Order: sequence, then C-alpha cells, then structure tokens
Amino acid sequence: MADRYPGYNVLSKRNSVSWNDQTRAVIDRRMAIDPDKHTFFTDQEWPTVQAICERIVPQPVDRAHPAPVAAMVDEKLHSNGGDGYRDARLPAMRDAWRRGLAAIDGEAKSRYGCRFHELTGLLRDDLLKAVQNGNVNGKAWRELQAKVFFKKRLLHDIVSSYYAHPASWNEIGFGGPASPRGYVRMNFDRRDPWEAAEARPGREERARAENAGVG
Amino acid sequence: MNRAVPALDVVSSFALAGAAAAMLVRPRHLSAITRSPIVPVAYGLTRRAAHSLTRRVVPLRPAPRPRRLARLIARVAPPPAATQRAARRLHGSAALLAFSVLADSAVEHYRGSFHNRAMYAPLITAALTLGGSLFGLGDRRAARHPLRDTIYGGAAATGLAGLGFHAYNILKRPGSLSWLNLFYAAPIGAPMALALAGLLGRGAEQVRGTPHRQRPSVRGLPAGRALAALSAAGLAGTAGEAGLLHFRGAFQDPFMVAPITVPPVAATLLATAALFPGRLISHLARWWLRLTALLGFAGVGFHAYGISRNMGGWRNWSQNVLNGPPLPAPPSFTGLALAGLAALSLIQGEHHG
Repeated sequence: MADRYPGYNVLSKRNSVSWNDQTRAVIDRRMAIDPDKHTFFTDQEWPTVQAICERIVPQPVDRAHPAPVAAMVDEKLHSNGGDGYRDARLPAMRDAWRRGLAAIDGEAKSRYGCRFHELTGLLRDDLLKAVQNGNVNGKAWRELQAKVFFKKRLLHDIVSSYYAHPASWNEIGFGGPASPRGYVRMNFDRRDPWEAAEARPGREERARAENAGVG
Repeated sequence: MNRAVPALDVVSSFALAGAAAAMLVRPRHLSAITRSPIVPVAYGLTRRAAHSLTRRVVPLRPAPRPRRLARLIARVAPPPAATQRAARRLHGSAALLAFSVLADSAVEHYRGSFHNRAMYAPLITAALTLGGSLFGLGDRRAARHPLRDTIYGGAAATGLAGLGFHAYNILKRPGSLSWLNLFYAAPIGAPMALALAGLLGRGAEQVRGTPHRQRPSVRGLPAGRALAALSAAGLAGTAGEAGLLHFRGAFQDPFMVAPITVPPVAATLLATAALFPGRLISHLARWWLRLTALLGFAGVGFHAYGISRNMGGWRNWSQNVLNGPPLPAPPSFTGLALAGLAALSLIQGEHHG
C-alpha cells in the first residue's frame, strides 16, 4: 500500500513546542518497550500472543521500529490498570486473557493437532475468524463467550495498544498527544503547519515537502 | 515647517514601497485581486464618494463690513491651528485603527490559510492606510493630499467589501445565521474597523482641507458632529463585537465585562455631546473617552495574559496567539476614542467659536 503520509514522522514533533516534558516522558517510555519482554504472559502463552498480534495488526516487514504490540498488551496486563469498564459477560481482564489464550490453543490442537503459533498464516486467520463468529466447540469456551472475548477483550487490547504507538501514528497521519500544542485550523480540509499532510493522488511530492516541515 | 515632516514622509514612503514590493513579489495575488469583479465597483464607489465629499463646503455669506466679517469668522470658524490639530488627531486615530486591522487581519487570515485570495486585501489596504495616516500625522500643511484621500477611500471600500465577504462566510456554513457561526466563522464586525479607519481618514482630509474662514464640514454636516456620530457608532459596534466574542469566552475573567460597559457609555456621552453641546457633557465625554482609550491599551495586556493562561502559555505561541484572545484587537477602542476626542474638540470650536 502506498504511503499515505509520505515523509511524515511524528517524532519530529518531539522537541518542538508541540510536546512538553510530560508528553516526551510518556512517549519515550512507550518507545523503549522491549518487544520480547513479557512479565504477565507465561513462556507458554507468549508465542500464542505474538502470533495473534501479528495476524490482527500486521506490520510492514521493512518498518524500522515496529510497534511491540504483544509486549504492550503484556505491560497493560502486568500493570493491571484496567480500562475503567468491562463487559459483564467476561471475567476480569487478566483472567479473560489467560482463559482465552488457553481456549485458542486448545481449539488449534483439536482442529489441527498443533498449537496456534505453529499454524500457517491462513490457518491462524481461519481459527481467529471462527473465534470471532463463535464457531468454536472446545470445553474452554463454555466459561468464556468466544464472540465477546474476541471483540471486547482480544481485539480491544491489541488494537488500542497498536494505535498507542508512534509507528502507527505515522501510518495514519496522527499527530500524537496534543499536549500542550493542540490544533487551530478546525475546518474541513484545513491543516496546521504541525499536522501531517495527506498525499492525494498526484500531490505526493507536495505532501512530502510539507511533512518535512512538521515539527 | 516641523522637522518631523520629512522623516514621516520617508516612513510613509517606505510603507507604500513595502506594499508595492509585496505586489511585485506576489504578482499573482495582485492580479487575482485586480481581476475581481469588486474592483470596478469599488473604484466607482470611491470615485463617487470622493466627488461628493470634495464638493461640499459650507460657503460663507459675503460679509458686509470687514469688522463684522472678522467677528463672524471668529464665531463660526475655530482657530485654524485647532482645526489642523484635530485633523492630525484624526489621522492618528486612523493610523491606530489601521495598525489594529493590519495586525489582526494578518494573524486571523494567516490562521485562515489565506484560503480566499481576497484575504490579502485588508493587509495591503491597512498597510497603505497606516502609511498614509502616519504621513498625514506628520504633515503640517493645511491641505488635503490626493494620495491619502484615495487610500482612505480604498480602505473604506475594502472594509465594506470585507463585511460582505464575512457575511458570506457566515451564511455559507451549515446552520447559516446561527450563534455558532457568529462565534466561530469570520467575525462580522471586524472589517468595519478598516472601513472606519478609511472614513475617519477621509474626515481628517476634509477637516484639514477646510478653506480659511470656513467651518470644517463633512458631507455637508458640521465636521465635529459628523465625526462624533461616526466615532460613537464605531465604539458601539466594536463593543458589540467584543460582547459577542467575550460571551463566547463565557466572561471567564471579570475584566472581560469592561469593553461592553466602558465604550458604550463613551459612545452615549459623545453622541449626547454632539447633539446637545455643553461644557459639562463635553467634559464628561472627554474623560470617559480618555478612559476608553486607556482601556484599549490595557486590553492588549489582558489579552497577553489570556494567551499565557492557555495550555503551554507563551512558549506555545504558535497555537495560542491564533487560538487565544486576539492581541491586536483592543487598540481599535483607543483609535475610536481618539477620533471621538478630536471630534469633541471640533464641536467645541463649532459651538463656542
């Protein structure tokens, strides 16, 4: 897919007035997450989590600093801060993940005779689709509604972790935290000089030049 | 001749040269403006306005005898020095208004990314008006100047055209004429400041061009009263604009009430002094206008404080100067109050002789 925001790097705002010390500290911490570190997930669960994240939010192979999605989910579960809300049909966040991962692996074993991360990409997708649609029949799913777990826990935590990372912000032209500098030109199709420029067809070079000036 | 005159001539020439250079550097913008259908209309309006304004002077009846003539002159015409002083004060107020418009429209139209080419027009016109007014302020010759006259006519026309553009900007948005659009679309009252600068400048030109022994007049009306009416209306309108935008700001600072209380009182006193001239009312109006003039300057300080209170404060100026309270807006009150003071001194001349 063509780069929609060519040359845009949200981190070039780091030392401008767009961000203050607090914002810098928060983003630095997020950027420093070790992609292989897992404190909450067991060594047994870890490859399954990584394999699920790769299928839900695949990232370009040539990306210099891919978002460490699995490690971010792990950190969220380790700190156990929660979201402040929860679907009442699911158990608590940590419990839901433990049971869900075991159920997904169990489903892979019963269907294909191997663990989830040992499947090929297409089979992984098939299995995740089955979970999404509730077409699962392992015993583990009796205590955990597959559809609800997929939508309200798995998808929610993985996608929100991915889009909390600067790697995804560059992809979607997001400016990161508006703290302290927010935006001024609020009308449709207007752009502040510190915002990403979108490359409309035929205007890629102009967008690239404008993105070089973002800071 | 005052030594300052050549210096001010140089300053105003630089301002004019600057505007010309801007036209040279960005000819596309200029050509876009000149191609606009408004140009012939504005030209026609300006020409007609110039004609009608220059024709009217109050003729003095031939005096029967020299002594009676002298007495009559003393009665109807204020001392020429006072008239010229009033004219220069009017130039000063036009300069202040033009400066306010130049800075304010530069900031706000930059914020609007100069989306419409016509958004350059007030910058050019206000720069010219500022240059012309400074020239007029320093010029001690008791005569009009065709260049200044033309610039002021152009400013008035641009201001009125701007009113149309801003009204269009409000009406074209979803919701049309709604409070939301009055708050957040192009400010409806702002272009009138440019029109007022032009009209006050025209007034200054007419006052300074008053032939000896004649009473200064504007459009056939005594100059003092006409300019007092114009300043009072301007003060009331500007107070209305400040009221609208300070209401948007929820009057979150108690001082935000000041521009909707002090200037309207000044406008009322000034209008009363124009209609029923008297020592007491003139005295009151004068002091209240001085207070309003001070308020205009204080407003800049308050607005600077307002900017500092936004997130990131002055360090985050690139957002807060655009998003916070407009720094250059309050001096409009000072400009109009100074015009009111000049009008009062002309009224005194008309009344006491």
